[in-house]
Amino acid sequence: MSGLGAALHAGEADTLSAPQSGSASTDFTGDALLPEFCAKPTLILGCGNTLFGDDGFGCELVDYIEREYSVPEDVCLLDVGTGVRKLLFTLCISPARPQRILVLDALDVGRVAGEIMEIDPAEIPHVKLDDFSMHQIPTSNLLRELGTHCDVEVRVLACQNGPLPGEVRPGLSAEVRAALPAAAEWVAREYFTTDGQGEEGLSTQ
Amino acid sequence: MAKTLVIQPVTRIEGHAKITIKLDDAGEVDTARVNVIELRGFERFCIGRPVEDMPRITPRICGVCPWSHHLAAAKATDAVFGVTPPPAGRKLRELCNSIAYMEEHILHFYFLAGADFLLGPDADYSVRNVIGILQAAPEVATRVVKVRHMCAKMLEILAGKAIHPQAAVPGGFSKPLAAEERDRLRPMADEALELAKFTMAFAKESIFPKYLDVVKTLGVITTGFLGTVADDGALDLYDGKLRMMAPDGSYEDFPYDRYTDFIAEHVEPWSYLKFPYAKKWGAFSMDPDKPGGIYRTNTLARINVCDYIPTPLAQAELLEFRKAFGRPAQLTLLYHWARLIELLFNAENAVRLLADTEITSTETRVKVTPRATRGVGCVEAPRGTLIHDYTTDADGMLTNVNLIVGTTHNNAPINMSVTQAAKSLIHNGKYDQGMLNTVEMSIRAYDPCLSCATHGLNGKLAVRLDIVDSEGNLLDTLAN
Repeated sequence: MSGLGAALHAGEADTLSAPQSGSASTDFTGDALLPEFCAKPTLILGCGNTLFGDDGFGCELVDYIEREYSVPEDVCLLDVGTGVRKLLFTLCISPARPQRILVLDALDVGRVAGEIMEIDPAEIPHVKLDDFSMHQIPTSNLLRELGTHCDVEVRVLACQNGPLPGEVRPGLSAEVRAALPAAAEWVAREYFTTDGQGEEGLSTQ
Repeated sequence: MAKTLVIQPVTRIEGHAKITIKLDDAGEVDTARVNVIELRGFERFCIGRPVEDMPRITPRICGVCPWSHHLAAAKATDAVFGVTPPPAGRKLRELCNSIAYMEEHILHFYFLAGADFLLGPDADYSVRNVIGILQAAPEVATRVVKVRHMCAKMLEILAGKAIHPQAAVPGGFSKPLAAEERDRLRPMADEALELAKFTMAFAKESIFPKYLDVVKTLGVITTGFLGTVADDGALDLYDGKLRMMAPDGSYEDFPYDRYTDFIAEHVEPWSYLKFPYAKKWGAFSMDPDKPGGIYRTNTLARINVCDYIPTPLAQAELLEFRKAFGRPAQLTLLYHWARLIELLFNAENAVRLLADTEITSTETRVKVTPRATRGVGCVEAPRGTLIHDYTTDADGMLTNVNLIVGTTHNNAPINMSVTQAAKSLIHNGKYDQGMLNTVEMSIRAYDPCLSCATHGLNGKLAVRLDIVDSEGNLLDTLAN
């Protein structure tokens, strides 16, 4: 171990001392400075790449919900594409964050294509649990960190994808497209009303 | 027995890659190759589409740097339609670019490179995560998150959709900036500038001195550089001419739509990704002792090729940097230092643009008419020079598309830096986890974006070290 890492691990420094520069305050002055995804109590994120077939399920579901439902004021519904990690990362270190986060995504767990299921973030395979990057691996880690360290309710609604194309080919398969109405209904029941608790029609992973 | 080490993927960089280190019979490094995965089929997918769709489609390529693709596409469509955006349209695009840069550079310095620098390259994996960094530097994290909030908020105000931007359109910018919106943006830009100043001072005082020995040795190669400068040679990340600088500091400038006259693409059988090289510098070679045609892009390249930086604080930093490391500076880990100079420039640039009365003009776009032609758009993306090259028919439908992204320019240098790093660290066949992380550091300096194809929520790829003999037989596997 070398450098600052060694100092930290030897207990020589609890925090990094920082030179003072300018007069910037570190106070958060309320919602005016917060992006919408930090400011509203409920955050729903559609994830995936619409250029690669069923990988775009989460984004397409957000689009479907926006067309077919009235999204409540206290809900931030975002198509974040492949940029979710930057946003989750900011949420992890942010003192202002939603109370509930729902991630909408495609997942390959060997089910029938189009099957909708709720995934417990804690049960997502622990691959490289303690490392992170902004792109390939970290979503599951960041979700766990939000849940375990940040006291945020994190849920994942996933759809079993069909075979993903090796080259750019937008558009959901018929099976996954057919799952959109039921998935949207579940989201609306769970997040758009105050009394919705049902999970009818869903399997759990 | 000869061995091959495989590290897959490199962690904490955008996308994923596999490093293969081949050892000779004496246990010394024979070759090191970084094999990256490329976005395939995109150009073909675009053929036949209306060219004006490109600024909306291309941000979908990558959620990490959507603004760069968005702006390069908008500029290429300007060229196809033969129009020049009004001053306010150009300035709003440039402002968004600077804000997106700040987001990216802050993220990279504090959290992608941060685990290396704040925690040390051989820190235990149990602390190499977001929470570990927060615990190591809570005061710094608080400042960082506030500015990340504000960068996202500023892009929301300017463009509506910040993640998949649609505000830049052929001929300009779709949404004029109201005076009251500008007034809301100004204090945020001021705050971002304070963080940029703080970060530069913090790094020079608390981070870089501890790692100067590593900076001077790790992944060091000698190459040329490519970047964008304004007509007078000033650093410009949004528009200008391309400057190809040779390792001896001599350079040639050319308009970016003539890039094919200056850049050729080499192909290696073991990589999908091509290896661009400078046509005029002789045959392509990645031999670190005798490189041929090799140039680099990204932060260090831009800091090297510019004659000066047109904002005072960043210019002062540039002078100090050049006094210490010369021009062109070659040390690979100086990418991090150069990144902070750019962070400062972008923060100053955002403040400057918001003080410009012209930016609130309601004339932000001009009308466009389809025609059969070729148009090239180019911006400096955080990860390097980004070129979009479109050809259309008389109806404005695309008949040809070519993209060269920043990381592709750096493909050969990344391979050379990894080879150099591996050779300096692996002897007699001996290696350990800390050494492997250090090899990865030489890649992370380039901040590569290694494709944004599909993704996996369950993260099926792990960091894995395979040790195989020269026949390909697996001898050992190590995993994080």
